[in-house]
Amino acid sequence: MSPMKPTLPETDVGFDAGAARERLAATRGPVYWRSLEELADSEGFRRWLRQQNPGLGEALLMDRRGFLKLLGASLALAGLAACSHPPQTEIVPYVHKPIGQVDGLPRYFATVLTREGYAQGVLVADHQGRPTKAEGNPGHPASLGGTDIFAQASILQLWDPDRSQSVRHRGVTSTWDDFVAAALAMSARFARSGGEGLHVLTGPVTSPTLAAQLDALGRRFPNSRWHVQRPAGGRNAHDGAQLAFGKPLSTRLHLERARVIVALDADPLSDPAAGVRYARDYATTRSPDRNRGAMSRLYAVEPTPSLTGLAADHRLPLAFPEVGRFALQLAGKIGVAAPAGAAPAAGEQARWLDALAADLQAHQGAALVLVGASQPPWLHALGHAMNAALGNVGKTIDYGAPVEALPADDAGLPGLVAAMRAGKVDTLLALEVNPVYAAPADLDFATALKHVPHLLHLGLYLDETGEVAEWHLPQAHALEAWSDARAFDGTASIAQPLIAPLYDGKSVHEVLAAFTGDDLFEGHALVRRQWRAALPDDKSWNDALQAGVVPNSALPAVATSHPDLAPRGGISVIPAKAGLRGPDAGANIGEAVGPKGAPQGRRVIHVAAGEIETDSGLRRNGEQKAVDSFSQAGSGKHETNAEGRVAEGENGERLELLLRPDPTIGDGRWANNGWLQELPKPLTQLTWDNAALVSPALAAGRKLKNGDMIELRAQGRTLEVPVWIVPGQATRTITLHLGYGRRSAGHVGDGRGFDAYALQTSASPGWAGDVAITATGRHYPFAGTQHHFNMEGRDLVREGTLAEYLHDPHFATAHDRYPPDPPSLYPDQPPGEYAWGMSIDLNACIGCKACTIACQAENNIPVVGKDQVRMGREMHWIRVDHYHVGGADNPRTVSQPVPCMMCEHAPCELVCPVGATVHDSEGLNLQVYNRCVGTRFCSNNCPYKVRRFNFLQYADKTTPQLMAMRTPEVSVRRRGVMEKCTYCIQRIETAHIQADKESRRIRDGEVLTACQAVCPTSAIRFGDISDKQSGVAKAKNSPRNYAMLNELGTRPRTTYLARLRNPNPALEDKPA
Amino acid sequence: MSTVFSREPQLPVIAPGENALSVTRSVSGVVLKLPVGLRWMGSLGFAMMLTGIFLVGICWLLYAGVGIWGLNIPVAWAFAITNYVWWIAIGMGGTFISAAMYVTRQDWRASINRLAESMTVFAVAVSGLFPIFHLGRPWFFYWLFPYPDIMDLWPQWRSSLEWDFWAIIAYLIVSIAFLYVGMLPDLATLRDRARRRLLAIFYGLLALGWRGEAQHWRRLESVTLMLAGLSVPLVFSVHSMVALDFSEGLVPGWHSTIFPPYFIAGALFSGFGMVLVLAIPMRRLFGLQAYLTDRHISVIAKLMLAAGLWIDYSYASEIFTVFYSMDKFDVRMEMNRFLGPYAWLFWSTMAFNFVQIQLLWFERVRRNHVAVFVIALGVLYGMWLERLMLIVTSLYQDFMPSAWGMFYPTFWDFAFLFGSVGLFLSLYLVFSRLMPMLSMYELRKLAHKRNEVEG
Repeated sequence: MSPMKPTLPETDVGFDAGAARERLAATRGPVYWRSLEELADSEGFRRWLRQQNPGLGEALLMDRRGFLKLLGASLALAGLAACSHPPQTEIVPYVHKPIGQVDGLPRYFATVLTREGYAQGVLVADHQGRPTKAEGNPGHPASLGGTDIFAQASILQLWDPDRSQSVRHRGVTSTWDDFVAAALAMSARFARSGGEGLHVLTGPVTSPTLAAQLDALGRRFPNSRWHVQRPAGGRNAHDGAQLAFGKPLSTRLHLERARVIVALDADPLSDPAAGVRYARDYATTRSPDRNRGAMSRLYAVEPTPSLTGLAADHRLPLAFPEVGRFALQLAGKIGVAAPAGAAPAAGEQARWLDALAADLQAHQGAALVLVGASQPPWLHALGHAMNAALGNVGKTIDYGAPVEALPADDAGLPGLVAAMRAGKVDTLLALEVNPVYAAPADLDFATALKHVPHLLHLGLYLDETGEVAEWHLPQAHALEAWSDARAFDGTASIAQPLIAPLYDGKSVHEVLAAFTGDDLFEGHALVRRQWRAALPDDKSWNDALQAGVVPNSALPAVATSHPDLAPRGGISVIPAKAGLRGPDAGANIGEAVGPKGAPQGRRVIHVAAGEIETDSGLRRNGEQKAVDSFSQAGSGKHETNAEGRVAEGENGERLELLLRPDPTIGDGRWANNGWLQELPKPLTQLTWDNAALVSPALAAGRKLKNGDMIELRAQGRTLEVPVWIVPGQATRTITLHLGYGRRSAGHVGDGRGFDAYALQTSASPGWAGDVAITATGRHYPFAGTQHHFNMEGRDLVREGTLAEYLHDPHFATAHDRYPPDPPSLYPDQPPGEYAWGMSIDLNACIGCKACTIACQAENNIPVVGKDQVRMGREMHWIRVDHYHVGGADNPRTVSQPVPCMMCEHAPCELVCPVGATVHDSEGLNLQVYNRCVGTRFCSNNCPYKVRRFNFLQYADKTTPQLMAMRTPEVSVRRRGVMEKCTYCIQRIETAHIQADKESRRIRDGEVLTACQAVCPTSAIRFGDISDKQSGVAKAKNSPRNYAMLNELGTRPRTTYLARLRNPNPALEDKPA
Repeated sequence: MSTVFSREPQLPVIAPGENALSVTRSVSGVVLKLPVGLRWMGSLGFAMMLTGIFLVGICWLLYAGVGIWGLNIPVAWAFAITNYVWWIAIGMGGTFISAAMYVTRQDWRASINRLAESMTVFAVAVSGLFPIFHLGRPWFFYWLFPYPDIMDLWPQWRSSLEWDFWAIIAYLIVSIAFLYVGMLPDLATLRDRARRRLLAIFYGLLALGWRGEAQHWRRLESVTLMLAGLSVPLVFSVHSMVALDFSEGLVPGWHSTIFPPYFIAGALFSGFGMVLVLAIPMRRLFGLQAYLTDRHISVIAKLMLAAGLWIDYSYASEIFTVFYSMDKFDVRMEMNRFLGPYAWLFWSTMAFNFVQIQLLWFERVRRNHVAVFVIALGVLYGMWLERLMLIVTSLYQDFMPSAWGMFYPTFWDFAFLFGSVGLFLSLYLVFSRLMPMLSMYELRKLAHKRNEVEG
C-alpha cells in the first residue's frame, strides 16, 4: 500500500462488482481506475471522495481540458504533497502558512524515542511532512543533544517498506473494525470472568499513559496478569536494588562528578537507558584542559570488551563469575564485609585489588563502583553497599523511585510460560514484544503457545509472533503516534507524531483502549487525558510538547538520610533458600547480625547461598591455573601460554558463554534495519552477522581462525556458529550476541546470522557455564569493514598519559618531522570568507559509531548489503577505526573517527581528469557528482581512503518509502560516481542563506555537521577556523592537536586531538 | 646496432633467390589467392568466441556498472588498468620496430614492419577501450575532451589521466596514419593484381590513386619519414604518460620518478614479445618463411633480451631506491611485494621477466622457434603480472591500515582480459587476410639491393 492511499471509509462505500462490470461493458476505449470502488463508480464512493477530498470529487466529473489544466498545477505541487497526508486529527491545511514554516527548510519537532522502554529526547527534522532525520534534544536529560545509533536508525524503521501494513486475523488480511469488534467481544467475555486467563506481555514500560492503561486493565479485570519481558539479564539490576534497599529503586549516575570509576562488567557508556547522557558526563571528566589538569580514571573488569572497556585506563579481562569474586574481595578491602570462602586472588588480580582499593579509598565521595546489567542481583547489591561505604551516594550516584511501571506480581516470561503450559492462559496480548523469537530456548515459547487459544500481537512487523498470532495488529511507529515515556531519571516527555501512520497502524494505547472499552480511543486524547493534571491548559501542554520534556517531572533523588539508603555493612550469605529473590529478599535486610568484619550497627544484605554460589563450579583445581596463566598472558609468552591452555582445555577446562543483546540490532528488534545491520560492530567491525567471539588464546589453543564454524554446546543445546577472534576477550569466555537468526524479520533481516536464543536459558539468560566447543571444519564468510587492527607503527592515533601531557603538552607532535604546514611547491589556497575545519577529540571519542549512522541518515548514504561489504565497498562517509595497541590478550584499543580530511593540498583534486573534485573558497574539498565520470583515481590517491564509490546502483531508485525518507537537500548518487564526506555542505549552505538574509556572518556553532550533532561526547567540533574565537579554532589550538599523515603534505582541515590516558602508576609498570 | 650483432654469423634477412616478382607473388598471394584454410578459420573462430565474451561483458558492464569486477576501496583499479597498460605497451614495441628502425635505416625491418605496425594499431585500439570501460560512467568519457561546453567546463589539466587521454588519441592517430601510408604502394599492387572487379575497386579506393609515379614515391618517402619521426618520440612520450598515471599519485609503490623510463622498457619488452608471438605462427600459417627469416626471429629475440635487461635494471633500481629512502610506507609496500599475500605476483614477475629471458643469451635457444615463442609468451604473461602487481600491491595496503583490503578478481575481470585478447586476435586475423602482411615494396627493394650486392 502506498502512503498516498487514503483509508477507505468503513461504511457507505460498497464495491458493487456487478455495477462495475456493467460500466466497463458499456464503455468504449480504455478505462483507467485506481480502486475497485472507483471502478464501481457508486454514488457512495463519490460521496466519500467528496468528503475526503473535496477537490478530487469534482475532478471525477471533469472534462479533458479541465483535467489538463489541473495537471499542470498538480505537477508543480506534486513535490509538496506527494508523500503523506497529515494526521487526521487537528488537520490544518496551509491556507495560511504556519508561523515559522519556510518552504524548503525543515521544521523540527520535539518527541521521544524509546529504547527498552526508556525515553531519549529527539528533535526530528520534518521536510514538508516527512520525518527525515532525528537529532538529540539538548533539553532532554538522556540526550543533551546527542543520540545513540538506534535513535538515528528509527527514521529508516519508520519508512521501512517491510513494516506490517495491515491487520491480520488468522493469517488473513482483516480490518481494524473487525478487530475492535472482536476485542469488545473478548472484553465483554473477560468482564464476566474478571479477566481470568487474560495475560498481557509487554517490554519495560515507562509510559505513564500505558502504565495507567495497564492499571485500568488490572482493575477492570482483576484476575488478569501483566508480565514484563526484558532483554537478557535486564532484571538483575532491578532485583539487586530490591535486595539492597528492599525496594526496586532506580539508580542514576553522576559520572561527571566521579574521579575513580570501577566498572565491574558494567557498560554505562552504552547503557540502554542513559548511555548517551552517561557518555557525555564521562567525557567531561576526561578533559584535563577543563578540569585544571585533572582527569578521571576508569577501571574496567569485564569478560568481553565493551565500549566502557575500550575507554578504560585499565582493563582486566576476567571470566564472568570471576568478576563477582573479584568484587567480593574488593569489597573486603574497602571495608565492606563480604563472605569468606572466596579464593584469595593471585598475581595480576592481587595487584589490581590493592591498586583499586587504594584508589577508591583515596577518592571517597568521588568514586563509583558500577555493576553490569547481566551480573547477578547480589553483585548489584554489593555494588550499592560499596558505593555507600565509599560515601558516593548522593554525590556520584543517587537513587530514585522506580522509573518503570512494574506489575504487582511480575513473574516475567518464565511465569507466563508456566501459566501457558498449565492451560491458564486463554488470551495473551503480546504488545510490542516478539516472544516466539526472543525467548530462552528452554521455555519453548512456541510449543507453550499451543495451549493458548487466543494470541493478539501488536508489532511494527509481522514477525515470528505475529505470524502465529490469531490477531496481528500493525503498530504505529513512535513517530506516527501519540505516546509518552520517561527517561532514566524519570523525566517524562510527550511523544508526538510527525506523520500520520503510513500503514494504518495504531499505537499500543489505542489498542489497549479498544480492549478495555475506554471511552476514549484515539491516541492524542488518551495521552492528553493522562497529562490533564500535570499540564492543565493548552499552553503548558504545548510548552511541554515544544520543549520535549514535561517540566519538573524527574523523579527526585531519595535523600541520603532516608532510611532506605542507610549504609549497608556488607553482604552475608545465608543458607540457600528457594525463592529468595525479588521481594522476599528484602525481608532479610535489617537483621542485626552481620558477618565478621561488618562495622557494628550497620545493616547487612543477606543473600541466599544458592544465589551467590552460582559460580561454585569454578572452585576447581583448574581454575587457579587459569588465573595464573592469565596473569602471565600479557608478558609476551602468549604462544607458550596458549599451548599450555590447550592441554588444560583438553582436560576438561570449562568455557563459558555470554549471551548479550547485539550492539547494533539489540535483541533482534532492529534486525530489519539496514543501517544498523551494516553499521560495523564495535571492536570486531563485522556487519550483517553475529559471531562467537573468542579470545586469541582460545583460538590458538583450538586452532581456530576467524570464520571457522564451531559447535557450541551449553546445557544440552547446540548451535553451530562461526568464531571471531577478539583481543581482550577473557581467555575462556565466548560471547555470542542475541538478535540474529531471525526467521520473519523482513527482507533485510531474515536469515542473517545465528539465533543465540537457542542457547539461552530462562534461569540464567545472560550466562552459561560448562560450555564445550568443537570445530566442525566448515567456514563462514564474514563481512567486516576493517581487516587490519595494527597501526603498523604509524602514528595515526596518538596517545599519551596524563603525566606525559602535563609534563609536555605538545607530546603529540613532539616527534613530527615536519611542521603543521610542511613546505609545498603548490601555492596556498587563497583565503575565503570562511575556513571550515573540524577537530576530533580522540580523548572524548568512545567509538560508539553514532556519527557513522547519523551521517548515513543525513547524507542519504545507501546500504550495500553483506556481499558488497565483503568486497570492500561499504559506503560510510565517516568510519570509526579501531586499533589494538599491545599484546593480543589484553590490548588497549583506540578508536578513531575518520571523515574526509578536507586537505588544503588535496591529492584527490590533482588527479581528477574532469575536475569533478575541486576546492572551494571556504576550504571545502567538493565532490561534484554530476561531473564525475568515475575514474576512481581520486580514491586511489586519497591517503585516508575516505572516498566511496558507487560500484553498482546502490541507492534505491524504486521504493517510494525510501525516496520519501531521504534528506531533500542531498543528491542521491547514481552508480559510477564517487562520493565522500562533504562536512554536511547542505547545512553550511542553509546557514549561509540565513546569514546572508540577515546580513551577518555565520555564527560559531550555527552549523553542526550530522556527526558533530549526534556525538554523545561532543568529540567532534566543526566551524570556521579563521575565526580565532570559534570553538573549533580553540580546539585546534590545543597542544594535543595533530594532523594525521602530516608528512604527506596534505594539510588536512580535519585534525585530531591526541588521546590521553590516566593510568594508575601502581598498575602501569607491567604491560597491562 | 649491426655492430652489436656482428659476431653472429650473418644469416640472410631474405631468402636467397627471392626477387621482386617472387616477393609480390607470395605476399599478395596470401591476400588474393590463398584459400581460407581450416587453421585460419579455427583461429578466427576461437578469437571471435573470446570477442563474444568480451561483448557480453561490455553489455553487462554498461548495464550494471564496474562493480561486476572485483574492484573495491582501496583497490579501485585492477584488471582494467592492467589490461590497458599491457595492451598499449604491446603497441610500443611495434612502433619502435617500424619507426625507430626506419629512421635508423635498418632495412631488414622490411619484412616485419607491417606486422609490427598493424599489431600496434590493434593493440592501441584494444587498449583504448579499457580506460573508457573502466570509468564508472563510460558514456561520459568524452568529458575528458575539451569541447566547447555550455557550462564552460574544461578538463582538469593537471591530471595525468587527462594527458593520458591525449596520448592514446595521438598515438592511435599517428600509428594508423603510419600504417596506412606505408601500405599505399602495396594496396596499389593488390588493386592491380586483383582479378575480381569488386576487390579491385576496394583496393583501388584504398590506394588513393597511387600510380607509382616518382612524385608519389618522393612524397611517400617524406611522409613516412615524418610520421616515423613523430612516432619515435611518441613511443617515449606516450608511455611516459602512462607511467605518470601512477607516479603522479602519492601511493607508495607509484610515487616514483623512475616510472617513465621503467615503463618504456617494459613497453618495448612486451612489444617485442608480442611481435615474436605473432610472427612465429604467422610465417608458418602463410608460408612466409622466405621473408620472415630465422635471422629476424633471432634479432627480435635479442632485442627482447636487451629490453628485458633494461627492465630488470629498473626493478633493481626501484627496489634499491625504496630501501635507500627508508620511507616507512615504501619499505612496507616493498616488503609486502616480497612476502605479502601477493608475493606470488612479484616472484612470478621475476621468474618470467628476469629468469627465463636469460635463456635468450644462447644462440641455440634463439634458433629454436618453439622456445622463443614460449619465452615470448612468458614475457607477455610476466609483463601483465607486473602491471597487476604494480597496481594492486601498491593500493591494497597504503597509508591507513584500517582501510587495507584485498582484491579478488571476478569472472568478469577474466572475461575482459581474455575477451580483449580475442578482439585483438580477431582484428589481426581479419587484417592478415585483407591486407598484405609484409611490405611488398620494401621487400622488393631489399631483394633488389641484396641481389645487386650479391651480383
